[in-house]
Amino acid sequence: MAIHKSLFASLLICLLFQISHGATKERLFSDLEKGALEVTAKPSREGVLDAGIDKLSITWKLSSTATKEAEFTTIKVKLCYAPVSQVDRPWRKTENELFKDKSCPHKIITRAYDKSPQSFEYTLERDIPTGTYFVRAYAVDAKDHEVAFGQSTNEAKSTNLFSVQAISGRHKSLDIASVCFSVFSVLALLVFFVNEKRKAKIEQSK
Amino acid sequence: MGDSTGDTGSSMHGVSTDKTGKYDLPVDLEDRATVFKLFSFAKPHMRTFHLSWISFSTCFVSTFAAAPLVPIIRENLNLTKQDVGNAGVASVSGSIFSRLVMGAVCDLLGPRYGCAFLVMLSAPTVFSMSCVSGAAGFITVRFMIGFCLATFVSCQYWMSTMFTSKIIGLVNGTAAGWGNMGGGITQLLMPVVYEIIRRCGATAFTAWRIAFFVPGWLHIIMGILVLTLGQDLPGGNRKAVEKKGKVVQDKLGKIMWCAVSNYRTWIFVLLYGYSMGVELSTDNVIAEYFFDRFHLKLHTAGIIAASFGMANFFARPAGGYASDIAAKYFGMRGRLWALWIIQTAGGLFCVWLGLANTLVTAIVAMILFSLGAQAACGATFAIVPFVSRRSLGIISGLTGAGGNFGSGLTQLIFFSTSQFTTEQGLTWMGVMIVACTLPVMLIHFPQWGSMFRPPSTDPVKGTAEYYYVSEWNEEEKQKNMHQGSVAFAINAKSEDGRNAPSTITV
Repeated sequence: MAIHKSLFASLLICLLFQISHGATKERLFSDLEKGALEVTAKPSREGVLDAGIDKLSITWKLSSTATKEAEFTTIKVKLCYAPVSQVDRPWRKTENELFKDKSCPHKIITRAYDKSPQSFEYTLERDIPTGTYFVRAYAVDAKDHEVAFGQSTNEAKSTNLFSVQAISGRHKSLDIASVCFSVFSVLALLVFFVNEKRKAKIEQSK
Repeated sequence: MGDSTGDTGSSMHGVSTDKTGKYDLPVDLEDRATVFKLFSFAKPHMRTFHLSWISFSTCFVSTFAAAPLVPIIRENLNLTKQDVGNAGVASVSGSIFSRLVMGAVCDLLGPRYGCAFLVMLSAPTVFSMSCVSGAAGFITVRFMIGFCLATFVSCQYWMSTMFTSKIIGLVNGTAAGWGNMGGGITQLLMPVVYEIIRRCGATAFTAWRIAFFVPGWLHIIMGILVLTLGQDLPGGNRKAVEKKGKVVQDKLGKIMWCAVSNYRTWIFVLLYGYSMGVELSTDNVIAEYFFDRFHLKLHTAGIIAASFGMANFFARPAGGYASDIAAKYFGMRGRLWALWIIQTAGGLFCVWLGLANTLVTAIVAMILFSLGAQAACGATFAIVPFVSRRSLGIISGLTGAGGNFGSGLTQLIFFSTSQFTTEQGLTWMGVMIVACTLPVMLIHFPQWGSMFRPPSTDPVKGTAEYYYVSEWNEEEKQKNMHQGSVAFAINAKSEDGRNAPSTITV
């Protein structure tokens, strides 16, 4: 019974945590200032880019229409999925609540905010999946809350997109090891089987 | 190897119930143990138990190894939700066929060869996972790996030849439950192995491929152990015992007919599809569900998902044990009621799981659901050995196949389309469980009754002996092929409930 009581108590505490946590108002993407930063992302070459090899030339600067500039402390630049890469993939869905949004999971760079135009040469990481992307830069305040953003594409996310081809992850050495162990398994079985049949035959002939 | 020479128990042939001396544990008329000693490895009964559940568990580990790594795999192979769902369906579909075949193999060749062959021949399929490069390859390999879940049948069959009917609920429940735990172990094991390999320097998309070598090696190790340490029957290996005249070679067609023409077989096929079937489906979707819906890290989602499968450690044996207790007081009718209550409760908790909006309620609902579904599996196989003596292997195989069929169907309807979110899918799955458990009310044994009807009072047709011996025709009875069924019927008196004799004398 003591176990039941302590389990129930811990359950109650957890529930209280949940309730209190959920009470804060969620920050929304639609509340952020649009187009506060002018962002460009230029691929190093034409066509589909290769993860781990090709680069993006990313620049960002303050837009003339920005109003919340005083709050900017850090700029977080991220790689985001274009709508075509989100189809049939609910784990990449765009959500208005910022903490739920999963459309920009890949971090490119985080830099302290500087008034002058910034740039960064980004080599596509080897864990970037195959897909179509654009770049977005969030302006974050001192409390680590997003206040504004700018992106390399238009609002409908249809222009200036680029495609990436992921690495396969396969290696010749893996393929060879895989074959070797498979063959060993089948051979070991056959050897045992034949051996046992042979012993049974010897027994029978005794 | 094993007992292919010497002692095959011919000195025990029917005369006395002397239960000590030859074996480590006391045995019944068919040399099956009457006591279950968990921490012993004694030949042949307990050693069989441990070999059996560990090799079955290994197959669960490899069949569901992909599930906790799906968040990585889906990015590497550019999978859509449909691809992931279809791979899940494929992983449980292969064994529908292989479990049927395994049933026949066990009836004809013995569970030791069946288990070892399957485990070692499916090792290459596990290793080939590291070579896939797209959705088609992923689905195909998961389909092929899934074949090895047929070790369930060899496991249950092996237990039924080694342990007596009074404790078969507990034994089958424990062996299968601990085997099913593999579905939970893998949700912990694979993310940890993946993480270690990544820390050693591999990129994400290579690390998951290397991780699959671990279940592959487990297959090879277990196959070798089963071949070197296992034996088919308490009295030795099948071929040796056949030659000494104790076990009779039966005909496949006859066994199949016996299984298929018994309506109870089909009810259990459906029932198991909604206890084991939903367990398999949940093994495939639950880690990804917690990862996506509650924004957890991969290994956190893995830990929660693991607790679903790990509950099998006590839940399934508890179900078998509950069935045995119910049988002690109410006989077979108690077993049937226990099954209905447990499985329906599991279904209701599944509905709750889909409706849960916070992490804590989801975890609580999931754990209660797992207890219900897994105990129901244990309670099912506490009854299945009594449906038929002659076709035990095939009926176990069909029931097991039903589990996988139910899983494939459920994943196809609820988890492979964009029509339902995963949480909606879980709720509807719960509703389906409750509905598909109702047919247990139709199962009636003339000698023991059913949920709502008492046993038959006919002095001839209402006996256990009549029920089991009627599986053989006159010609076969002339050849004394039915003696095993007679012995079984005597031992099955334990299902009469409180009227059962406490000791069995001949």
